[in-house]
Amino acid sequence: MQEGVISISNLESFDELFESYKSATVLTRGEKAQKILGQLDAWCNTIEGIQQIYERIPAMDQAGILKDTPWENPSRLVPQLVNGTYKSGHPNSTYELLSELRMLALARGKIEASESMKEEAESYLQEALVLNLEFVFNEPQEETRLLMSEHELKKVHSLFGFVSEQIQLSKVKAALVEELELICEQRPVVTEKQRRIIALVKEKIELDPNDPADTALLAFQRSIYRPTSGTVDKTFAEYGEYLNGLKETQLETEAEQISESMLSYGLVSTYHATLLLFLVKEKKYDLVAKCLALDEAGVVRFNEHQEFVCSIIADVIHPYNAQCIYGLSKTLENGVLSRTAVRAGLHNLLTISLHPKVEERIIKSVGSSTSAVSPKQYLIGALLRILGQPLGVGQGNNPTCQSARGISMWSQHAPAKLIHMVHSAAVHDDLSFRFEGSEIKYSESALGLVQKLDHQLDAVSVTLVPMLDKIYNEMMRRASGRGEDPHKWVNPGLYGQWIQIGFASAYDYLSNAIVDFDGFLRVFYGMCHPEYNGGHRLVYPNPVGIFITTAKGEMLGFHAISLLRVEKDPKGEERAYFLNPNNEGRQNWGQGITPSVYGNGEIHGESSLPIHQFAARIYAFHYNNLDAASKMDKIPQSEVDTVKELAKESWGKSYIWLEFKKQW
Amino acid sequence: MAKCFALMGWSLPVIESMQKLNKPFVVVSFPDFESYAKENNIPFVSYQFDEWSDASNSLDLKDKLDAYGVDVAVPLFEETVEWAGALNSLYRDDPKVLNRAFLFRNKAMMKRKALIGGLRVGLFEEVYSKEGVLNFMNRLNQANLQVDGEEDSWVHIKPFASAGTVGHRLLRSKQDVEEKCEVEDFPCLAESHLAGKEFSCEAFIHGGKIRFMNITEYVKLGYSNFIPEGNYLHTKRDRIMKEMQKLVDLFGIQYGMIHPEWFLTEDDELSFGEVACRIPGGHILELCGQAYGFDALAAFVCCHDPELTEEELNELLPPLDARPSTFYGNVMIYPHKNLISKLIIPEELKEEPYFLDHNLIPPLTNQKVNSREGFGNHFGTVNFKGDDPDRMTELLLHYENVDFYH
Repeated sequence: MQEGVISISNLESFDELFESYKSATVLTRGEKAQKILGQLDAWCNTIEGIQQIYERIPAMDQAGILKDTPWENPSRLVPQLVNGTYKSGHPNSTYELLSELRMLALARGKIEASESMKEEAESYLQEALVLNLEFVFNEPQEETRLLMSEHELKKVHSLFGFVSEQIQLSKVKAALVEELELICEQRPVVTEKQRRIIALVKEKIELDPNDPADTALLAFQRSIYRPTSGTVDKTFAEYGEYLNGLKETQLETEAEQISESMLSYGLVSTYHATLLLFLVKEKKYDLVAKCLALDEAGVVRFNEHQEFVCSIIADVIHPYNAQCIYGLSKTLENGVLSRTAVRAGLHNLLTISLHPKVEERIIKSVGSSTSAVSPKQYLIGALLRILGQPLGVGQGNNPTCQSARGISMWSQHAPAKLIHMVHSAAVHDDLSFRFEGSEIKYSESALGLVQKLDHQLDAVSVTLVPMLDKIYNEMMRRASGRGEDPHKWVNPGLYGQWIQIGFASAYDYLSNAIVDFDGFLRVFYGMCHPEYNGGHRLVYPNPVGIFITTAKGEMLGFHAISLLRVEKDPKGEERAYFLNPNNEGRQNWGQGITPSVYGNGEIHGESSLPIHQFAARIYAFHYNNLDAASKMDKIPQSEVDTVKELAKESWGKSYIWLEFKKQW
Repeated sequence: MAKCFALMGWSLPVIESMQKLNKPFVVVSFPDFESYAKENNIPFVSYQFDEWSDASNSLDLKDKLDAYGVDVAVPLFEETVEWAGALNSLYRDDPKVLNRAFLFRNKAMMKRKALIGGLRVGLFEEVYSKEGVLNFMNRLNQANLQVDGEEDSWVHIKPFASAGTVGHRLLRSKQDVEEKCEVEDFPCLAESHLAGKEFSCEAFIHGGKIRFMNITEYVKLGYSNFIPEGNYLHTKRDRIMKEMQKLVDLFGIQYGMIHPEWFLTEDDELSFGEVACRIPGGHILELCGQAYGFDALAAFVCCHDPELTEEELNELLPPLDARPSTFYGNVMIYPHKNLISKLIIPEELKEEPYFLDHNLIPPLTNQKVNSREGFGNHFGTVNFKGDDPDRMTELLLHYENVDFYH
């Protein structure tokens, strides 16, 4: 059978079920509708299937398939409820899908409707689309990933793919701008999502430069498609030709404009690579520094390592992997490239041959493979991005927050170790770790958490994550059964010995309950809150385990993040700044707890919450066990009570709470 | 034609069929259904079937039904078989109709009747305690010439009067007897295990003659079946028909439908299992209606009417020798785990050309699954349809083991 095509017999089955539905009286209609939905549910995996359903929607609507359901009256439906309904699964999600297709049929006149209803349906769909970009691009959020099965994800992806092809987006510009800002402000290493939204906007909306509402969207478009005045109406190849004829001052203008464009959203255009390679070839080093948009410190470091940097540029950068220019620029500014070990590691990487399996994964991750850029160039390019933007590392659509957190931590605090890991992994398609005195090898470990890696990741992650994931799981296996959370031993084993020895867990394995939450919070505040820990800052990121909760505050699952710092925000409120490897700026954890990604003093890539809200979601962290006791008593009970109430009213409902005191 | 049918028990599909047929009827069921019936203009008499007293009995019920002019009672569920029998005894002025209903309600009695009439049955006995089951198993072991170390002979126990597979336990050893039997199980029927292919027949009877007979092939008892019977079983159809008519004559059944279960052993013998006279479980009449293209529920009800004309019968029932070319089958889905949180319809099912529909719904978050007593409590049904009975068998066997709930 051809993939994606609904077999004739299944189409006939629908006809049979539909006939039986139509001939039913009100007594058995519900039951028969359920059967039709069971069959249609099976069609939803592909756009072709959605098309088939769409063709049948007028008849189904006429027969009253949505009658006596919450979807009965299209003008009473609210796009804000769409997302949650899909998460509740079949049959609700299948009803919701029919409802969306009916909207489309109304908007397109396939089902007869008044002009105002057509208009209403169109607006509804546009809004639903923007609210569900995670489905359009198949990049589910953490909550979504936990709740929805693979089939349901395919279903919504097919549906929204189909719907987005059919409708315009002219009415939801502001929402799109907000979405783009939320993503770009985090400066993620992988930029596909914002590029896809920008491309979608380009294709879907006729923008007017004179309309102030359109300027923001145009600015996003410019940063990719026309970053300088010289790039207008040229391909990057034509631009290369064009550069030959420019005077020094004109080149300078190009370099300034292009670097400004890169800095505004962290997006790099193909032209940028063309210009940079041209300047390196022409040995115009001052302009190379300008073109890299370096700050003062960056310029100094560039001058110091000019030859090395230029050779990296010449060997690695190409218009098709231009995004790494931003990373390279940041590695100069943050000083990573000044380390001898880092430069040695990068130099070595340039000389290796990749293992064919690793090449395969990298090619899969970049999607359209082009012979112009080798997998090794992609790999080193991605490494530059990670070294330059440690907080931009994401887990993609994978349950591998642990591995992403590790890559980010090493990038900041053990960059040469990270490079070395990439090196071995890329050459041998294998990796080995030391754990409690013995060796754990990827190639000899059993299954990891992720069975089917989603390849919407950077080239370093696709190389390392499958291995780190298995090694992590093997460490967990070896450390389990000790009556305590295995992370106590696995975190230092995986991330490095700079993880503190002390390990606090709110959950007690032996009593299967939350024990002495007061003490737990006191240790936490004493560990990181400047007011109670002697004004100290965090030295290394602290691997913290948090509960993921729904927008209603209900317990959903567990997640790994790193606490980076606790400081007063611009408004004077004490905030926890943390790395959330799922790169999602629009989270709602219930109880008014909504992590922000910009506007509250965050560095690009950080998420933040007021410290008490953050504390209300944690269940495990590391601390200095020699320090803790002396600080615990300083924390006021009122602060503890506030957090505890939030905790008890949300995830806490899923646990038994025991109040006796524990030795911390 | 009957003036009015009393439908004994609440079934929406049956009510719908009667409405479409435009035949007069009244539904008799528990008071819980009264308000729904009123809202939907369904003629309804509320009655407490589980109560039998001076104020609640067949004469009293007959009085209530007289207002509707009822002259035929139709049992839809196992628990209403005696009530319908009692009413029909009065309507037909024949006390044996009631006795026959008792026959359908006692599995030991029906077997004895079958044995007397020359049908082949397994060894059976009424047992009153665990001891009784053990003794029965011992005698069976003796008869089977068991030597030390050999497995015990398998024994089934069934409540005398429960529908289908409810409360049915298979005991494979004395240890099973110790562990699986509960005090509440007794008294009950114990019987020897019949090896072989199991199937059921649905014979629509009028005037003591089988007017249409369906054979339902059981792929696995309590899990899956399909209609019409596969090709091998079909070769036995004439023999099955003869045995069926024998059963009808022996039990003296004049009107209605019977649903016996049979075993076809490897040495080609037909053994009688048990028989019921209400709507069979496992959605059998639904499959039967789809396969043969008729309203099996309407036919079921109407066959109870002694005044049904030849013409009407021909209109309602498929010809006796019909052999549909499309097979309809279903598999009942049970969770395989004790704690479930997700419904996952496997990809292969969605690509399966035989897949017709399913009515599975996702569990509540972290739902606990009630432990199964014998059979029953399935979570939903997956239906298939296709032209090859062997492929159908394969599919049903396969999906019985597929885990839909995780």
